[in-house]
Amino acid sequence: MIPAVQIDDLAFSHPGDTTPTIDGLSLTIPTGESVAILGPSGAGKTTLLTLLDGRLRRWQGRVSILGLALDPDAPPPLSRRADSGFIFQEFALVERSTVLRNVLNGRLGRMGVLRALLGRPSAHDLSVARAAMTDCGIADLANRRVDSLSGGQRQRVAIARCLAQEPRLILADEPISNLDPARATEILTLLTHAARKRGATTIFTSHQPDLARRFADRIVGLRNGRIVVAAATADLTEDATAALYELNDAARAPQLQVIS
Amino acid sequence: MGRRGYGGYAAGALVAGAVLWSLVTSDMDPSRLLSAGPRIADFLGRMLPPDPSVMKEIIQGSAETLRIAILGTLGAVILSLPLAILASETMVPAAVHRPVRMVLALIRAIPLILVAMLMVGAVGLGPLPGIIAIAFHATGMLAKFYAEAVDGVSRAPIAALESAGAGPLLRLRHAIWPQVAPVIARDTIFRFELNLRESLILGIVGAGGIGFYIQTYVRSFQYDKAASVTIAVIVMVIAIETLNVALRRRFS
Ligand SMILES: Nc1ncnc2c1ncn2[C@@H]1O[C@H](COP(=O)(O)OP(=O)(O)O)[C@@H](O)[C@H]1O
Ligand SMILES: [Mg+2]
Repeated sequence: MIPAVQIDDLAFSHPGDTTPTIDGLSLTIPTGESVAILGPSGAGKTTLLTLLDGRLRRWQGRVSILGLALDPDAPPPLSRRADSGFIFQEFALVERSTVLRNVLNGRLGRMGVLRALLGRPSAHDLSVARAAMTDCGIADLANRRVDSLSGGQRQRVAIARCLAQEPRLILADEPISNLDPARATEILTLLTHAARKRGATTIFTSHQPDLARRFADRIVGLRNGRIVVAAATADLTEDATAALYELNDAARAPQLQVIS
Repeated sequence: MGRRGYGGYAAGALVAGAVLWSLVTSDMDPSRLLSAGPRIADFLGRMLPPDPSVMKEIIQGSAETLRIAILGTLGAVILSLPLAILASETMVPAAVHRPVRMVLALIRAIPLILVAMLMVGAVGLGPLPGIIAIAFHATGMLAKFYAEAVDGVSRAPIAALESAGAGPLLRLRHAIWPQVAPVIARDTIFRFELNLRESLILGIVGAGGIGFYIQTYVRSFQYDKAASVTIAVIVMVIAIETLNVALRRRFS
């Protein structure tokens, strides 16, 4: 089977940066898996997800998403962009619009241009959007304006918009940051359930090793734009996962299964 | 106390000097000052009762004022949309938005009545100079407000729609427009209210509208008619404000 994500020797620097943000990274993610990317702030997690979403230019190496090679110098064709869905850390919702409008925005790449321009979704678009809202527990908020919602509710709207897009690959950037443990568990439960139900591959970044272990089939440790560990969750001890955040002393690094 | 005290004395002396200078040079001799009271009372007395026979003039004047405000606002909106882009900190480089913002500040600094007088000189009496003056004067504020609306657009939802597969036109329609449109609508309504208020007095310099009748009736000593027009103006201002409060709630 074609892997959901195939990365070979990827390197990227933000414009103006001297040190590379992604530095010789290789990784294969099988279709249907749920993968957690762990690593300290500034490790390059957001940059990597944004690149996989086809929104960064001028990188080196080879990247294939769902069997299609990304072009380092051009955005992917519009028709393919809906295949990967992004859940933004700060939600990136249109604050003045309603929940339903925001969720329907996820359908824009799936509907005809005329329908999209006129804001006239088909019955099918509406039913997909409503199913996504139901899965996220926000069906009753459909007509509320987003700027009247709590942080937790906004997070659910952001996830519902992504699901409405019917992506085959879900890229979630810190979907549980700023949430208490009970809420974080709820969000990861609904996200991984919804993804599995739809047969989508999920990659999420996180700062919480314990929750990552509970919800991910595979864990990737990132530091300074390099992979320091990549293993099936079952093969990785709790201590080794936690140690991803204490790698300042180089002495601990060799204890880990270092890849690349 | 010390040093601050001296600064205080200097400021006090300056204010006292300015007041004295104004009093001495303004022909304020006590006898005129004393007779002003009864004369104002007499003037007000002659305004009563207001003469309702000028209803036709009031309606005509109000309609013209309304037209001046509507067309002046329309002109300002048309001028402000492109100028807002040029005055935006996020859309154009500083070499463009700095001078454009300076010009807009300069325009705001020129009083409307002055612009109107100049326009009467340029294009003659009637509503046209009023419309041009309002459009010019209001652009100074409106273009600045629109530019702030453009700069206030959050980029994140634009990236989110790009990620979902929406092209540039759809991003404009569904991520930028919903953020900008209510702000532009609110700013425009606010400016329309100001334009309507300010255009009430344009007639005094011959630039059209209801102000013309106040001017005419006072000059010809028909104070009872002037009173009716004045009452009409006050009623209009209150009506405008009531309407504006309702509209603003709609676009919050
Ligand atoms: N738009 C940008 N321009 C320049 N540098 C950036 C930009 N975004 C991120 N960086 C830099 O890239 C590095 C990785 O950032 P990021 O991918 O956000 O890490 P993480 O998500 O793991 O915290 C950081 O050093 C950050 O300063
Ligand atoms: Mg990040």
